[in-house]
Amino acid sequence: MPTADLERTPPWSWREASTRLAFLTGLWLLLTGADAGSWVIGGPAVLLATLLSLRLRSPVAWRWRPAGLLRFVPYFLWHSLRGGLDVTRRALHPRLPIAPALVYHTLRLPPGPSRVFLANTINLLPGTLSAELQDSRLTVHMLDAALVNVMELQRLETRVADLFAVSLE
Amino acid sequence: MAPDDWLTLVCLLAAAPFFLAGSIGLLRFPDLYCRLHALTKADNIGLGLVVLALLWQVTSWSEALKLLLIWLLVLLAGATVAHLIARNALRQGQKPWERP
Repeated sequence: MPTADLERTPPWSWREASTRLAFLTGLWLLLTGADAGSWVIGGPAVLLATLLSLRLRSPVAWRWRPAGLLRFVPYFLWHSLRGGLDVTRRALHPRLPIAPALVYHTLRLPPGPSRVFLANTINLLPGTLSAELQDSRLTVHMLDAALVNVMELQRLETRVADLFAVSLE
Repeated sequence: MAPDDWLTLVCLLAAAPFFLAGSIGLLRFPDLYCRLHALTKADNIGLGLVVLALLWQVTSWSEALKLLLIWLLVLLAGATVAHLIARNALRQGQKPWERP
């Protein structure tokens, strides 16, 4: 996809605006427990957030595949737990078993929100931290740059492609 | 104590070591990048367990959803901030520590 398309935000539709408005209203209701007095702040905040989110939304259309989400959530929870245990073990171990290095990963996901999502989830999984996302290259700081951990990164990318219903290059 | 309270207690006790390890990692790890690993991952799972502990005490669906929402928002903020700090350090030319 050419870069010019990525930089232009397409005009929004009323349908899209009302979906976002409904979602953010729901969020406010949840946070304030439907307190009527809170709308003095909530009303303008929800309205401004809706406008801002329309302004900042991705030029690339995207969606989550529901079945992909059902597969992704348990995978994510399990590996977050592993990530927490892994870093706990390394931090407490007397010899501090780490062998950090920067790894350059060429993304196979198409440009757009799925890449940003990958960069974010990488931070929560065992031993990986995304340090730079530029064009098709993701710079990852690894706490232990062993081959198994690099392969795990590729597996995560496959999972994200499944979630966003996109194909890998 | 009711069974729910015991479950809350177990989850809270399980959460504590992660927060402790996050702080110990912050002190022991050799550079900024490694410290970010300790903070984001250990604290996220620690907070997840605290949220799980509190879920046994809720009295309505909206309270439960609110707790899960808080965890998700902290996950999102934590991951984003860790990325931004690491990116900034990298752009400033800070070399990651390597085992000699």
